[in-house]
Amino acid sequence: MGTEGDASAPPNWAVRALIGRNPRVTLVRMAIWVLALVVMARFVLIPIRVVGISMMPTYAENRVNFVNCLVYHVHPPQRGDVVSIRLAGNHVMYCKRIVGLPGETVAFHEGRLLINGQPLDEPYVKNPCSWEHEPIPVGQDEYYVVGDNRLMGFLDHEQGRTSRDRIVGKLLL
Amino acid sequence: MNGRILRTILLVALLPLGLWGWRVLHPSQEHLIQKALAGLARTACVPANEAQLSKLANAQKVASFFATDAEINVDLPGRFSQTINGRDEIQEKALGARAVLNGFTVEFVDVGVTVAPDGQSAVARLTAKANFPGDSVPQVEELKINFKKVEGDWLIQHAENVKTLH
Repeated sequence: MGTEGDASAPPNWAVRALIGRNPRVTLVRMAIWVLALVVMARFVLIPIRVVGISMMPTYAENRVNFVNCLVYHVHPPQRGDVVSIRLAGNHVMYCKRIVGLPGETVAFHEGRLLINGQPLDEPYVKNPCSWEHEPIPVGQDEYYVVGDNRLMGFLDHEQGRTSRDRIVGKLLL
Repeated sequence: MNGRILRTILLVALLPLGLWGWRVLHPSQEHLIQKALAGLARTACVPANEAQLSKLANAQKVASFFATDAEINVDLPGRFSQTINGRDEIQEKALGARAVLNGFTVEFVDVGVTVAPDGQSAVARLTAKANFPGDSVPQVEELKINFKKVEGDWLIQHAENVKTLH
């Protein structure tokens, strides 16, 4: 009565699960997903890998994270945010914490961070240091960024003022 | 129906190939500069145990990417600051560096090139990612490189590091 199927051919449900009822629709759906993922990874949530020790212990080396590029369209960068800062482009970026806001001064005295002369509570800094630096004025369109690892020498630690347009986004995790 | 789909797929596949072919035969000035920068990065890398003769040849090759009156300014506040003037000094420094940087590698990423309207000068902005022997973490530095056209070739006239954080 019935026809005998080829024993080596995959079962019907497997073919349907793989390519759907209509292969053309599946193809279009796949293309949309790929496009959405590319747009997402390039403009919305940029995947990054943390390299270096300047953000330790908050971010260990080689940890994977994502940069939320939309958050600063809603509100301006805030103190305490860990942000990514572009160099010539988005393939290599600095990962730092915002400590100084536009118009403020940032200084270090006996390892403590001073904002407008007042010590800032930094629970994320786990290692005491002895950094000393006179007050640095932060411009109107600038932010002062620094890493959490203060065990490094002041000059070995990439830090300083950056313009708003260099801040790509806030780290998600 | 199947023939039409096949023709469309073929067209879609051939279009990028055609564009690629056109770009190879008629490279833009931006592309030529990017090619020069890739060549510079390749030449600046120091293979492990490089022979003395290769060191000299590669140092000469590095210098050949620069104009005779080229200037390089490196300013890393508190760490290192130097100005190098002229192709001869660049060659000398490149040779000296190759002697101590066994296994050094460098690559240029995020290269952006802007050619001036007269087509005789250009500015490239890029990130240099360098791996120094013995360092596990690469050093990154943003660079601004000015090019000028000399007898049809794009040569570096001025190079400096950009202080991303200042």
